[in-house]
Formats: sequence, structure tokens, C-alpha cells
Amino acid sequence: MADFRSGSKKREGEGAVPIDAGRRRLLTGAGALAASGWIAGVAGGWMLRAPFAHAAGPIKMGIATDITGAIAPSGNANWQVAQFAVEKINKGGGINGQPIELYLEDTASDPKIAVGNVRKLIQERKVNVVLGGITSAMRQAIKDPIVNRGRTLYIYPQLYEGQECTKNLYCTGPTPAQQCDELIPYIIKTMGKKRFALPSANYVWPQLLNKYARKVIEANGGTVVFEEYYPLDQAEYSATIGKIRDGKVDCVFNTVIPPGLQPFVKQLYESGFQKNGGVVSCVYYDENLLNYHPAQEMEGLLSCLDYFQAIDDPFSKQLQADYSKKFPGTKFLFTAGSASTGMYRGIKFYETAVKATKGDLKREAVAAAMDGAKLAEGPGGGAEMVPGKMHCKMNMYIAVCKVDAGKTRYEVIKKSNMVDPKEC
Amino acid sequence: MDVGIKIVFDLLAFTSVMVLIVLGLGVIASMMGIFNFAHGEFVLLGAYTLFLFQESGLPSWMGILAAPIVVACVGLVLERLVIRRFYAAPIIAMLGTFALGLVIREIVRGLLGGHYKSISEPLAGTITVAGIDFSVWRTTIIVTALVVIVASYLLLSRTSLGLQIRGALENPALARGCGVSTKRLYAMTFAFGSALAGLAGALIVPLYQLSADIGTRFLVQAFLSVMLGGVGTFEGPVLGAAAVGVMASGLPWLVQPVLADPLVFVIALAIVKLRPQGFISQGRT
Repeated sequence: MADFRSGSKKREGEGAVPIDAGRRRLLTGAGALAASGWIAGVAGGWMLRAPFAHAAGPIKMGIATDITGAIAPSGNANWQVAQFAVEKINKGGGINGQPIELYLEDTASDPKIAVGNVRKLIQERKVNVVLGGITSAMRQAIKDPIVNRGRTLYIYPQLYEGQECTKNLYCTGPTPAQQCDELIPYIIKTMGKKRFALPSANYVWPQLLNKYARKVIEANGGTVVFEEYYPLDQAEYSATIGKIRDGKVDCVFNTVIPPGLQPFVKQLYESGFQKNGGVVSCVYYDENLLNYHPAQEMEGLLSCLDYFQAIDDPFSKQLQADYSKKFPGTKFLFTAGSASTGMYRGIKFYETAVKATKGDLKREAVAAAMDGAKLAEGPGGGAEMVPGKMHCKMNMYIAVCKVDAGKTRYEVIKKSNMVDPKEC
Repeated sequence: MDVGIKIVFDLLAFTSVMVLIVLGLGVIASMMGIFNFAHGEFVLLGAYTLFLFQESGLPSWMGILAAPIVVACVGLVLERLVIRRFYAAPIIAMLGTFALGLVIREIVRGLLGGHYKSISEPLAGTITVAGIDFSVWRTTIIVTALVVIVASYLLLSRTSLGLQIRGALENPALARGCGVSTKRLYAMTFAFGSALAGLAGALIVPLYQLSADIGTRFLVQAFLSVMLGGVGTFEGPVLGAAAVGVMASGLPWLVQPVLADPLVFVIALAIVKLRPQGFISQGRT
């Protein structure tokens, strides 16, 4: 009896171990799948070979952007714009006769995956420059592997909250100063709206943008009625709408982002805010977001960016036409809000710098040439790196959303030349 | 006064959304003892059905009618193929339905190309009563939620089918002994719960945006509602959903919105601690 019992106990014990381990494996497996999204695992690297040879070999340009995951639409637009810009440069004979070879790594909207993939660009591909990253979280994650440990030049293309002053990291998208300095005085002085509400998604970009916006609002004689932060996926905003109504707010300076955005804009519209003369402004709205809300909710919305497709500038128009020709019917548009204009500008800045160094690709030499580099043309006009500041001056445009027969479009109402980024 | 009415309307509208979403989950949890982690994705499928109808130019009301039917069919197939194997092991059922949900969610994400889609309300605009504007679609949701609650309640409490379902819940062996096919009943109950999820998805998506994660946003709050209300009855989850809905939309009036979200959970968990059996307890124990 005793023997039998101890034997059976042993069997139980033996059995328990693998079952437990198996369950644990299953759990971690499911967790990893959920965390990484469905096709992150198959993402390898892509390469676009140089179209012609050169004695010194090609210039290797690395693109690290979000091809998969939550912000894949913006990432794919970035990748297409990079191919487009590089193809144009190569067709014109490259940089000083040296062709550009393009390498892509997917950052998968996930900083954890991104760091490993970016290392591949640096260590295996040995690229001369990396462009990419869209969210600030992504920039923070990949800048160290690129700039510090990787000793490589990094260009960040998206509009963002500012305060990135790392050496050898150049920002080619608009800063809070560029987005607020023209728009807010326009709202206060020209439109006569003085009472601002700052409803925001709870993360770094709205926090820092609001800090700057508040300064500009108060300096121009406006008042901030409330500044409030919400979970990113909040679904119900009646309390906020109540505060807007009770506080007699006449301008909503919105930094709520999807997925919380749609219910907020809908409830705001339903409350009659716009009907009673209120103005909604949202500085990340570009052509991608034109059909984001029903037309009536979009009407009158103000945005401020470095480029709109409606801009009447021959170079920008030609650029847009060429892009449509290369990617006919694409759903990834060449717009400002998705970092595409920053990507184009970044590649052109790099081209200008390497031209100036006469083909010297060493980081220090290129960085020195980037400092103060000038672009005569680009989407929305030229740009100019402010010496020692790693950010660039560019034209900024205020646009309002118009509705014609149910179709939405932007109309540019004010152009400001070479606005200072006021960073670093 | 006007403001008061407006607040009550807003609370009611969001509570109706919560109740609609929780109803299907509650029916399946109470009647079958299965926590369906794919419920959020059934809501998503309902929303996606309406989107497909609008895309192909068909009228929206057709999409809203079709959504519960389509999702019921999906639910029925999944129940026959997969879910029925989990009845003996509720914990495994959670993992299994979670996996099913993941598969559905990522397929829809692929189909949508990762984009957010805006769905217009079938009945847009506002109606003005005594000088106060009410959104037509939110009003429709409140009315529909009431109708669905009453209809489901009558189905379960007044019809012979309802009696069989309740019988199978109380004592499956005895029900089988009386000639009731519990296998068929479970399949039908699961399909019914799925249909409610599909209807909820089609009704709420115009207020939000169609994205693959629309269901997951509400899933955790829905589970909280079922826990709060108590498993095993029809009324319990409905009351739980109402409580969570009122808290989620009412608390931001009183505290910082970022605090309101976790506070809903703190309050609900405190209530569950005091009343572990939920608001209403009866049925399977």
C-alpha cells in the first residue's frame, strides 16, 4: 500500500511539471503575440539597390519607420516618400556622382522591436545616416542606438513637442513655436476668440505643446479656461463639453488623438459649439484626416502645418504630381502631418550637406555641413537649418477646412515665411 | 435646469451604450457559465458589418438589421466548432475565447489596413425639445437599449424557450432528463448572446470610430459590469452595466478625467469585495 501511494504521488508530481510549464509557455506566447501585433514577426529588412556603380561605392541611407502596427499608415507614407526622393536624386546622377542605396527596417510601432531592427541598420548594413521614427517614444528609443552607441547621423522628420537637443540629431518637422506663434495670435487678434480650452490626450506631446501654447495665449491677451488630460481611449466627454459650455469657451485648441478623438469631436459638434460661433483648432490635421469626421463636424476647423496640398506653389504642385505618378492611387498620401514632408526635407538636407563635404561621409563632416544648410525648394517652400540648433526654419501655413457639396478640403488663409523653430 | 437635463441625457446615453455591450456578455456568462473573451470582437464584427453595408452603398438600417444576424451565425459556427469543447473547463474557455478574439481582431485589422474609419450616423442631427438639443442617434440608442432589455427579459422569463434555458441553467442533467436538448440550447444561447453583441457594435460605431480595437476598449469595463451585477441572472449584468456606465460618464464631472478611469475600477472592486455575489445573486452557485 505504502509503495503504491508513494508511487502514485511521484507520478502526479512528474505530471504536474510539464503541464505547468506548458501553460506558462502558452501564456507568454499569447502575451507576446498580443503585444507585437500580427505581422511584426515576419518583418525583415528591405533594400533598394543603387541604380549605378561608383568607385567609392554607394551612400547607404537607412530608413527606420513604422511599416506595421498602429501607425503603419504614416510609416508607409514615409517609406514611399523616401523612395520617391532618393529615386529623384539618383536619376539626377546621385550626390556628386555617388548613388544612394536605401535600406528599410520596420520599427513596427513598437520601441522594443525597433531598437533591435535599428541596430541591424547600424551594425550589419553600416548605413551612413538614419532617417525615421514618428512618435516621440520611438525617437527616444532609437536615438541612443543610432547617435551614441552607433555613432551615426540621425534625422527625425515628424512635427513634435520640441526639446530634443541631442548632438548629431537633426529635426526637420515643425516645433511648438512654429505651430503656435502664428496660429494663436491669428485666432485671438484676427478672429477675436479669447477664451481657450486645451483638451488633450495624456502623453508627452500634448503636455509640452500646451505648455508652450499657454504662454502664447496669455502673451496675446487670451485666457486658458481649462487644460485637461484624458486617457487615450476615452469614449465619453460629456463632462468636458459641460466645462466648455459653462466656461464660455470660444476656441477649443484640441490635442486629443485617436481613438478618443472621434467621440470628442462628435459630442462637441452635437453640443452646438461651432453653431454658436466657437472655433476648433487642431495642429496635426492634414489631408489624411479630411474624411476622419463627417463633413459638418470638420467645417471651420483650423490647422497650422508646414505644407498643405492646396498651397499655390509651382514646385510643391509638381512634387505632388510626380509623387502621384510614382504611386498611382496610393492610400499613403504625401502630407505634413504624417512626417512625409519632414522626410523629404531630411533627405534633401542630407544631400545638400554631402554635396558640401564633397563626398566625405564621416559623421562630423556631414553634421558640420548640415549646420546652417539651406534648401531653396521643398514641399511648402524652402527650409534653413538654424546654425547650432539642429532644427530648421520653414514656411508655415494656417488653413481652414471648407465643405463644398459634402466634400471637405483645406483652404490656406495665411502664409508665414521662414518661421523660427525656437529650439535648443 | 437645462444643464441638469443635458447631464442626465448624456449619462443615460453612455449607460445605454454600456448596457447594450454588456447584455450579450451577461447572457452568455449567466446562462452558460462561460466568460467570452471574444465578446469585444463580436461587437467589432457587428460594427464591421455596418461598415461593409455603407461601403457598398446599401442603406444603413439594413446593415444594422444584418449585423446581429451575421454575428449570430459566426457565433453559432464558433460554438459548434470550438466553444462547446470548453464547457467543462471555464478557465480554458477564457484562454480559448481570448485566442479566437485575437484572431478575429487581427483579421479585421488586416482588412481595414490598420486605418480608423468614420461611420456616419444613419439618423444624423439633433432634435430640439423645449430649447435643448438632443442628438437623434443617442436618443435612438437609449430607446433601442430599453427595447432590447425588455424583449430579452420577456424572452427569458415568459416564453417556453426561456423556461428551457433557465431550466438548463439550474440543472442541466435534469433538463436533459426531461427531454430538453441542452446541446441545442447552449448553441442557441451563444448565438443569441453573439447577436446582441453584433447589434451593439452596429449601433455604437457611429458614435466612435471603426478600428480593430473598438471592442477591447469596452471589454474590461463589461467584465467589471458582469462581476458587479452578479453572474447567474439576467438583471444582474444589466444593473452592473448601468452602474459602471453612470460612474464612467459621471466621475469626470467631479475629478480629473485621468483619475476617473481607475476610480471606476476602485469603486467597483470595493463593491464586489463587500458583495462578492454581486447586486443580484441567484441561479448557478
